[in-house]
Amino acid sequence: MSPPPLLELRGLLKSYGGVRALRGVDFDLRAGEVHALLGENGAGKSTLIKVVTGAHQPDGGTVSIDGQPVTGLTPASARKLGVACIYQQPALFPDLTVAENIALRLEPTSGFRRVAWAARRTRAQQLLDRIGAEISPEAEIRTLAMPQQQLVEIACAVGAGARIVIMDEPTASLTQKEQHLLFAVVHDLRAHGVGVIYISHRLEEIFGLADRVTVLRDGQSISTQAVAAIDEARLIQLMVGREVTQIYPPSESAPGEVVLSLSHLGASATPTRVRDITFDVRAGEVFGLAGLVGAGRTDLARVLFGLVPADSGEIRLQGQPVHLKSPQDAVAHGIACVPEDRRRHGVVLEMPVAHNMSMAIHSRLFPGSWLRLGAERRLALDFIRDLSVKCHGPEAPAGSLSGGNQQKVSLARWLATKPKVLILDEPTQGVDVGAKSEIHRIVRRLAKAGLAVVLISSDLPEVLGMSDRIGVMCSGALTAILPGDADAATVMAAALGKGSKGKAA
Amino acid sequence: MSAAPAAAPRWKAILFRHETLLLLVLVAEWFYFDAVGARFATLDNTFEIVRHHVEIGLLALVMTPVILTGGIDLSVGSLLGLCAILFGKFWRDAGLSPLEAGACTIVVGALAGGLNAALITELRLPPLIVTLGTYSLFRGLAEAITHGSDTFTGFPSSFLALGQGHWLGLPAQTPVFVVVALGVWLLVHRTTFGRGFRAIGFAPEGARYAGIPVERRLALAYVLTGMVAAVAAIIYTARLGQARADAGTGYELYAITAVVLGGTSIFGGVGSVHGTLLGLAAIAVLDDGLVHARLPREAAGVLTGVLLLLALTGSVAPKLWAARSKRRPAPPAATPPSPPLPTP
Repeated sequence: MSPPPLLELRGLLKSYGGVRALRGVDFDLRAGEVHALLGENGAGKSTLIKVVTGAHQPDGGTVSIDGQPVTGLTPASARKLGVACIYQQPALFPDLTVAENIALRLEPTSGFRRVAWAARRTRAQQLLDRIGAEISPEAEIRTLAMPQQQLVEIACAVGAGARIVIMDEPTASLTQKEQHLLFAVVHDLRAHGVGVIYISHRLEEIFGLADRVTVLRDGQSISTQAVAAIDEARLIQLMVGREVTQIYPPSESAPGEVVLSLSHLGASATPTRVRDITFDVRAGEVFGLAGLVGAGRTDLARVLFGLVPADSGEIRLQGQPVHLKSPQDAVAHGIACVPEDRRRHGVVLEMPVAHNMSMAIHSRLFPGSWLRLGAERRLALDFIRDLSVKCHGPEAPAGSLSGGNQQKVSLARWLATKPKVLILDEPTQGVDVGAKSEIHRIVRRLAKAGLAVVLISSDLPEVLGMSDRIGVMCSGALTAILPGDADAATVMAAALGKGSKGKAA
Repeated sequence: MSAAPAAAPRWKAILFRHETLLLLVLVAEWFYFDAVGARFATLDNTFEIVRHHVEIGLLALVMTPVILTGGIDLSVGSLLGLCAILFGKFWRDAGLSPLEAGACTIVVGALAGGLNAALITELRLPPLIVTLGTYSLFRGLAEAITHGSDTFTGFPSSFLALGQGHWLGLPAQTPVFVVVALGVWLLVHRTTFGRGFRAIGFAPEGARYAGIPVERRLALAYVLTGMVAAVAAIIYTARLGQARADAGTGYELYAITAVVLGGTSIFGGVGSVHGTLLGLAAIAVLDDGLVHARLPREAAGVLTGVLLLLALTGSVAPKLWAARSKRRPAPPAATPPSPPLPTP
């Protein structure tokens, strides 16, 4: 009989509040294999990592390591059992040196002892050499680029004798050369009998690196396959192959004149560099923007809203070129943006609903800067009725509302500006099902009234169900513009950089 | 202005309001010092209290919008000193009339506030650091101009009347204070500027996303502070009849204490101008009452500290109790996903 797998998960369950993040995940990792984990945004990958690293406790199911069931896993005990995780954003101390960071992870922390500086340095050097990283142990972490920091994390994992190494999109910010270095490290780990859980959206990496792949969808493990026995098309199908369970209101509007027009728009001051974006949005049209997390959709929204300057290309509004230097400029030109991070950017949680709703139209509602509380209250009551916001009244703090109703407050703030272009960035994220379909109906109504809507969403059925046309982004570039009745696999292929309009680097 | 939670009964919300507690403290102070001290609760003495606290009061008033934005201005006391010296220079050495010298001094105050604002909004440095720097800079300039020894005296009596005389039976500086208090109150509570200050204090990034001109609002708060510090410097000079480089030393902490005692959150967003006025009154009465009660002056520091800590405890206690009683019976719920990191 073969030895038990290094790590085995059976029927894993996990809920956050009312959201079921994991509902029955089976997964196993053998010694000396690279096992890829693949799934859409929100499929449950991050939750799975958190359970394995002991950050969160599962609600049900079993975790076994070396065939032994383990319960009450904590980050410390997981580390002791040989679990290590390399995150996209390494969690190192920026002001300490490489050697000190490695020492902090590996040296016992109890008791007063003299610091053996020389031994620290030697060990750090050995670990860095072992994974082939050309980094000085004396370098401060803040002077290192992100990929080098990842290598330091890997050195820590190797030094700790980790047998289960999780890599969460390790190549997201790496150059080609750095990727090859990383792949060499992964091969080396595998040769030493380490099991690697490899999470990536890049299919070519999975085919080049992994032995097996497990597809997660909606918190369930759909299928585990040997990489040699599967092709790309089948993988994409497994990722998206869900029935559309929600009914979306039908499109009723006939698109009118072009309102927003982008040509070769680029911006580099964003986390993901936005490159060469060209598309038009017409009045009455819902233009969906699909893509994976980090594809640059929010970055594009920030450029269109004047938060980040564009450094190439052109934005035209109703044919007129515009320069957007601040959100005030954007508002003046009739662009409104309901931001992705509702709690930090969308509403001011501590302020009343009415104050939130009037915030973007101070100059129009309050001529001469004097507050007119009566007019503000009427505005708020109108929107509360119009969008059926559930709250104790215009004076209730926005933070006392549910997520969906907060989103409606954020939406009301921007509708009050009477915009021509409405950008909605993940409008239904973290919103319950009822509020979600209400928001969908509102979006339809706005489009029918002649607004040009740009709908950014990571929820694929939502993009497919709501959009008249769909733009797909990958690595900051537009990889495809598809008709609204495109199928999920086509969109997913474009989001993975396999679009018909050419492959992204 | 601060919205009470809609569910709580109204009388309870009013009773536990910070302003109400502070008013009770003020009344208690008043009766205590009236009982133990000689000639405390007289009209003349009340006027004296006002006269001695107008400058700190002016600084506290304009400090309120600054703290509402989540910022702070440590440089106001030093700026008061610098403006007092420059006022003396303009009058004695440049030969300007007190009115002209005063106008020039206010321009200098605005420029100094503008320097703070520029460093904070353009270089995105924390206000604490910026104004800690200008705190030293302004005082240092005042000392450099006077070589540490020059004092300006011999101002005309028509000017000294502003600090020492009476107007309709009131201390002559009272109208200035009332005008500034009214102006700042309207600014904070009745205009879109006040809304902007609060929004910036609660969520700076959120305010930017809402199209509020964050930089311009911050600049307004700091420039206004500089201008009013200059006004305070002129009144200070008129009251004492002399301008010295050490004028207003420590006033910034006095002003901040009044603001915080008045219920303005040091984290920004929450607070009121009338709260600041009550906080100021509580400190001023304590200060003066101790003199009349023949208690040692040193006690003022101790008691101001105790008062501040008690007032802060008193206003957070109901919230803490509510949170604790809510937490106790709660069943072990699932761990929520970790909250987003705060804005750096």
